[in-house]
Amino acid sequence: MWVIEPIFRDAIIFASMLSLLTLGLTLTYLTTKVPNFSHGSFASIGMMAMLTFTEVMKIPAYFVLFPSFLLGGGAALLLYMMILRPLISRDANIVAQMVATIAFELIMISVLNIYADYLTQTFKVQTRGFLIRRNDVRFFGEPGVFIAAPILAVSAVFLLYLLLNRTRFGVGLRAAIENPSLAGTLGINVKRAYSFSWFLAGGLGGVAGSLLALWFQGSPNYGSELLISIFAASIVGGLQNIYGAVAGGYLLGFIEILGTRQLGFTFGPWITVYRPLIPIVAMAVTLLLAPQGLMGVRWRSLARTVIRGGVK
Amino acid sequence: MMEQQILTFLFDILSYIAIYLIINVSLNLEYGLTGIPNFGKVLAVAGGAFVVGAVPGRILADQLNLLKGFKAVQDHPILSECLSTLAQIKPKILESIDYIEDNAVVGDCIRRVMVNDPVLSMAVLLGTLGLAALVGAGLGFAASYPAIRLREDYLAMTLLAMGEFLRQVGYLDRTLVGGTLGVFAPDPYGWLGAYRFYASALVILLVASLFFLYVRTVTFSPAGRVLKAVRDEELAAEVLGIDVIRVKQKVLVVSSMMAAVAGALWAFYSQSVIANTYDRFTWTFWPWVMVIIGGAGNHRGVLLGTVVFVVLRRTIDTYRYVLEPIIPFSLVWLDRLLFGIALILVLILRPQGILPDRPTPALGFEKARKIIEKAAEK
Repeated sequence: MWVIEPIFRDAIIFASMLSLLTLGLTLTYLTTKVPNFSHGSFASIGMMAMLTFTEVMKIPAYFVLFPSFLLGGGAALLLYMMILRPLISRDANIVAQMVATIAFELIMISVLNIYADYLTQTFKVQTRGFLIRRNDVRFFGEPGVFIAAPILAVSAVFLLYLLLNRTRFGVGLRAAIENPSLAGTLGINVKRAYSFSWFLAGGLGGVAGSLLALWFQGSPNYGSELLISIFAASIVGGLQNIYGAVAGGYLLGFIEILGTRQLGFTFGPWITVYRPLIPIVAMAVTLLLAPQGLMGVRWRSLARTVIRGGVK
Repeated sequence: MMEQQILTFLFDILSYIAIYLIINVSLNLEYGLTGIPNFGKVLAVAGGAFVVGAVPGRILADQLNLLKGFKAVQDHPILSECLSTLAQIKPKILESIDYIEDNAVVGDCIRRVMVNDPVLSMAVLLGTLGLAALVGAGLGFAASYPAIRLREDYLAMTLLAMGEFLRQVGYLDRTLVGGTLGVFAPDPYGWLGAYRFYASALVILLVASLFFLYVRTVTFSPAGRVLKAVRDEELAAEVLGIDVIRVKQKVLVVSSMMAAVAGALWAFYSQSVIANTYDRFTWTFWPWVMVIIGGAGNHRGVLLGTVVFVVLRRTIDTYRYVLEPIIPFSLVWLDRLLFGIALILVLILRPQGILPDRPTPALGFEKARKIIEKAAEK
C-alpha cells in the first residue's frame, strides 16, 4: 500500500472544488454575460449548511450535499430572478449588473454572518475557523471527501456534457446561450433555460462549499475570500467554455497548492505566504499571453513551433 | 462634558465624510464621468496608506540614528529618555533596533520627537502626502494598463484582483508594513496637543473640498465634456479626434493620486497602518454604494450619497450599545444588509441615483451672444 502525502489530498480536494465553482461561474457568465461577484457566497452557503446539518442535527455528511445543492441553487436563482432579470429588462448596463451582484454579495455576507452568530449563541457551535473533518466517513482508509471530491467534479462535467449534447433541453439551452432572440423565436423558453443554468451553477457552488468544509477550515467568509481564485481560474479557462473552466480550475488549484510547496522548497519557506498572489499572477499572465484562455490556445501549432525551435 | 461628546461625534462623522468624499470624487471621475468601472479602488488607497506606514517612520528613525541602537542616541535628550527603561529590560536594543520588530518603541520615540517639533511635523505631513500622490499616480498608471485594453467585465475582474494584490502583499510580507500586526504611523498633528483630533479632521476636510472643487471645475470645462464623450460613446469620441487611451490613462492617474492621498490622510488620522483593514469592502464596495446611490456623474449626488451613507453608518455604530441587547447578532453585519438592499432598490427603481447626471452646460446663450457682440465691436 502506497502512502499519499497529505499535501496531495489538499491539492486534489481544493482543485476539484475550485473547478466546480469555476464551472458555475462560467455557466452563469455564458448566459447573462455578467461576472458574478457573489459566486463565492454560494460556497459559503454550502459550508454553513454542512456545519449546521452535521454538527447541530447530526445528519451524516454526504446526505447534506443535496440540501446544500438546493440552498446554493436557491440563492443563485434569487439573484437571477429578483435582481438581475429586472435589471436586464430595464436595459441596465453591465456595470450596473456587476454592482448589483456586489450588492447581493454584501447581503449574503451579512446574512451568513448573522446566521453564524446565531448558531454560536444558540447551539454553542464554533462558526469561524471551524474544522469538521471528524464528521467525514473513512473510505478504504482514506478520508471520504478525498474520493468524493474528484469523482463529483468529474461526474458533474460528464453529466453536464450529456445534458448539453444529448438532451433536447440541453441543446435548447445551448441555443439560448448562442443566440437568445433566435432561440426565443424557435419556441425555446430562454428565461427558463437561463434560470436553470443559474440554479445549477449555484447548486454546484453549494456542493463545492459543503465538501470544502469537510476538509479545510471553514468560515462564513470562506467563499468570498475564494472569489479571486475563482475569477482567475475562469479567466485561465477562457470564460467562454465550461470545459475550459474545469481545466482552469484544476490547473490553478494544483498550482496554488503544489506550486506553493515547490516554491517553498526552492526558495525557502518565506515564499509560501505569498500563495494568494498566485491566482492574480495567473490571471495577468493569461490576459497578456492568451486572452482567450486555455481553450483558445492552438496547442498543436504551438507544440509544432516549440519542436521546430522557436518562432519561424 | 456633553458638548465635548457631541463635538467628538460630529468631527468623527466629518472626517469619515471627508475621507470617503475624496475617494468617491475620484471614483466619480473614473466611473461617473469617464466610464471606467474601477473595482480596484482599494489599490491606490492602500498604496497611499502603506507609504505612510513604510517610508516616513524609516527615514526619521534613520535620521535620528535610532536604528543603530540605544548607544548611538544616548546623547539625544528625548530619545535616551524614551529608550532608557526598555534598554534595561531588553539589552538587545543597545546595539540595534529593528523598525518592524521594535515598531512600538520606534513609534513612541518618533512621536516624542515630533511633538516638540511643529516644523518637522508639517514637513513629514506634506512630504508623505506628496510621496503618496506619486505612488498613487504610479498605481493608477499600472491600473490603466488593463483599463485601456479590456472590456468592462474582464476589466472589473482584473482591477478587483489588482486591488487585492497590494493588501495581500502588505498582509503577508512583514517587512513592508508589519504584516498582521501593522505599524505605527508618525503623528504630524501631535504638537497640537488636545486639538490633534480636530486638526486631523480639518486637514482631511480641506483636502476633500479642494479635490471636490477641482473635479467640479474639470467637469464644467471642455475637458469634462471630453470625458463624458468618452463615457457615452467611445467610437464617436475617437472620430472627433479624442485620444481615448490617453484620456483614460490620465483619468486613472489623477484619480488614483487622489485616492492615495486619501489613504495617506487616513493612516495619519488613525495613527497606524494595518494592511488587513484595507480590504475591498471598506475601500471599494462602500464607495461604489455611495456613488451609485447618490448619482454617478453628479457632484451634488455624490456628496449627498456620501453624507447619507456615513451619517447612517456612524449613527448605527455609535448607538450599537442600545441596539445590541435587543437583536441576537453582532451589529457589524447590519449595515451590509441594509446598504446591500438599498443599493439593489436604487439600481432597479432609480438607476441614475438620487440626483441624476445632467448634461453639462456649455456657455449660456446670453453669454455666447455677448462674446460674439464683443468680437463684432472690435
